[in-house]
Amino acid sequence: MDIISVPTFWTIWLLVHLLFSVGLLGALTHQAVSVTMPVRKMAGPGGFVVRFRAVPAAGYATAVCVLWVLTFIAGSYIYIKYRTYIRIPIEQAGHWKTQGFFDFKEHVASIGLVLLPAYWFFWKNAQEPEYDTARKMVTVILCIACWFLFIVGHVLNNTRGFV
Amino acid sequence: MNTTTATTKTTTATSSVASSTKMKTFAVTFAVVGTLTYCLCLLMNWPVFTYHPAVNRIEWGWGPSRNGEGPAMYWYGWTATTLLVGAVVGFLATLLPESTAKKIPVILVWLLPILTIPFLIWDLRQWWLHP
Repeated sequence: MDIISVPTFWTIWLLVHLLFSVGLLGALTHQAVSVTMPVRKMAGPGGFVVRFRAVPAAGYATAVCVLWVLTFIAGSYIYIKYRTYIRIPIEQAGHWKTQGFFDFKEHVASIGLVLLPAYWFFWKNAQEPEYDTARKMVTVILCIACWFLFIVGHVLNNTRGFV
Repeated sequence: MNTTTATTKTTTATSSVASSTKMKTFAVTFAVVGTLTYCLCLLMNWPVFTYHPAVNRIEWGWGPSRNGEGPAMYWYGWTATTLLVGAVVGFLATLLPESTAKKIPVILVWLLPILTIPFLIWDLRQWWLHP
């Protein structure tokens, strides 16, 4: 704590949380697009959208699980500071819906966490057609959840500047 | 043992775990029970512990905010309850006979989180309806 100031320390952790979440968002979005709109046959190099969809989606599964857990841990750690130094001013300023969205975010993150073993199992057994629907649905749910968490986190980070 | 053999054996071991019935039973049960437990924790307020960040104190079970001690945090406790219950029930489910374990519906893994959304919106109504 002598080397860097307290605000710098927490800003670094917030940035770590952000970087993990960006990686997670990219991986999940690629995977969700590839599983909902798979490229059946590549004739030629294809455009940006085709290449975006044509990723080896199964290869992302372990990385997504690891990134979700790392983002969750980093978020849980900075939540301590959020609860005492951010949430109280937000409540004092009467940003009730903003606060509601943060609570929504924490619930979605926890529910996403419990889906990870099943998500990983479905992707590790991608050759089994009986898991096709479940694999697709869980991937899309995690992708939507991740976008929601990212946007709410971003808006909340900005909100403190308004208070 | 050369590197190629070691890598092949590790890959085979990993893939056999990933494709085993027990892994499927655990993963599906963990997702289903975990989602339900989290909702129940919110509804009944069942954190396994309460964290008081201003004084860096952990209290077992649910504890109220106290004067001069800042706010109380329950989310860590709700998540811990969820992971514990999900893991224990998931493990117990792996002890079931394979014929019974196969009857656990996979559809619940993705259907329950979708059904949870309206519940969460309702549970957070104090924020949406705050005057």
